[in-house]
Amino acid sequence: MTDVSFVDGLVRFIFVAVLITAAFLLSTRSLPSLLRTYQLQSLLLAMLAVVFSFVEGSAVLLWIAILTVVSKVLVIPYFIGEIQERISIRRDLEFHYLAPASSILVSIALIIGVYLSLGNILSSAYAKVEPIFFIGAVIGISLMLMGMLVIFSRTKAITKVLGFLSMENGVLLFGICVTELPFIIEVMIMIDLIILILLTTILTVGIDSTIEAYNEKVRQYSLWTVREEDAP
Amino acid sequence: MNGPFIIFALLNVGFVLLISPLFMSLIKKVKARAQGRCGPGLFQTYYTIAKLLRKETVYSSASSWVMRVTPYVCLSMAVVAALFVPLLYVPEPVAGIGNVILFLYLLGIARFFMALSGLDAGSAFGGIGSSREMSLAAVIEPTSIVVLAALAVVARSLNFLEIARDSAGMLFPVSATMILIGVSLFIILIVETGRIPVDNPETHLELTMVHEAMVLEQSGRNLAMIEYAGAIKQTLLIAILVLVLMPFGLVTELSVAGVLFAMALFVVKGSVISVIIGLFESSMAKMRLFSLPNLFIIAFFFSVLTIFIEVFA
Repeated sequence: MTDVSFVDGLVRFIFVAVLITAAFLLSTRSLPSLLRTYQLQSLLLAMLAVVFSFVEGSAVLLWIAILTVVSKVLVIPYFIGEIQERISIRRDLEFHYLAPASSILVSIALIIGVYLSLGNILSSAYAKVEPIFFIGAVIGISLMLMGMLVIFSRTKAITKVLGFLSMENGVLLFGICVTELPFIIEVMIMIDLIILILLTTILTVGIDSTIEAYNEKVRQYSLWTVREEDAP
Repeated sequence: MNGPFIIFALLNVGFVLLISPLFMSLIKKVKARAQGRCGPGLFQTYYTIAKLLRKETVYSSASSWVMRVTPYVCLSMAVVAALFVPLLYVPEPVAGIGNVILFLYLLGIARFFMALSGLDAGSAFGGIGSSREMSLAAVIEPTSIVVLAALAVVARSLNFLEIARDSAGMLFPVSATMILIGVSLFIILIVETGRIPVDNPETHLELTMVHEAMVLEQSGRNLAMIEYAGAIKQTLLIAILVLVLMPFGLVTELSVAGVLFAMALFVVKGSVISVIIGLFESSMAKMRLFSLPNLFIIAFFFSVLTIFIEVFA
């Protein structure tokens, strides 16, 4: 762990891999693999936190890693997996406004735009002294924007939830790299997310439809009877 | 031109010529096994080429000199390209040999003549094949360039021989980002050799064939040369992937034992990648022509990000 160039290479690898998972969230059509992609993205962030905690010797980052693994790699994907078991669709084939190829090109433009604007905001000295952390911040914000791109370019509600979760991962990455957020805030964000996922689990009925057809679906079934029917 | 370089040239080209058909049949074998068939023997491609060499060459009455010259262009470009990628022994680079961009455009010339010969015979299928190949090439080329540029940025060199000299003797890739480049290179390998998500090398169905449609009018010795050139191109791309991901085993000092060891090791490494290609092909369905850009764009995105991270961080 003390080998600087090894750590450097590893961190770069994780940065690129995180953005690749975001690109897959934009373009993959099968819902189970979308979920696995999100799981992988969270796992990568946890790995990054572990690497940084070893380099800097801070225990908080280690706790953040543990929290991320427990909530985002295990609990949240488990609930979303349950939702997918319950609804009959396996694919999300429709795209609004942007086809996958063009949204990936747009995200390249986003990353470069974020790099340029962040370079102006954070002082250039910071970018020179700690280039890895600076790029981490850039990638964190890009990940947020790409999550936003997922939310508006894809139609199924379940994919939109994954886009939102990916946005939150971007915030986490930004937090790890730039301003160490207090641990309590991380915990609260996590609890918020879990409650969000629980709510979506309950609202399962509507989630296999597009947002436009959502109200009709909710009116069509009463929530609780549907749950009892589906869980024998 | 110095002594070691001439030895390198003879050794490398000879070894590539010797081994290329083997990987071709190995991939066929793996695919056949995955489909529950027995498959051809490992030396089948050698027999096929030997058989084709004995057959008579037939030209369409509509064809011109392009048809006659294409097989020679393809094979000679492949052999020259074989000088660029070291498989066994790495000498000091000499005068532009090993240049990444030149390598790409040597393959480009072969592809250009292939497309011309598809049009030349005056058959409708050849025209369809050429048109498809060229429209694919227009999309692939920026991707290939960016992938190789990313390789050059990470390895800090535009020359395959220098890249190989830097990494020779290392057990693992030079840096972790090399693994990402390996993924993009794998996509390029699949695309350039016309394998399954892009093109099916086994089909002769007019709706789907791309590469096969272009060589439909070739026969006899000419067909043998074109197939041989395809096999060489595949071996070279495999060798680049090996260079990036598994650099151990290359020798920088000439010795008989070292070269023999490198030969054995390269056969093993190349076989590993061939098996992976075979399994990958078996696990995929052919993509629609219009969804192919999604595959390229992933490789493109990988490489742009790698360059971005390497340059700015």
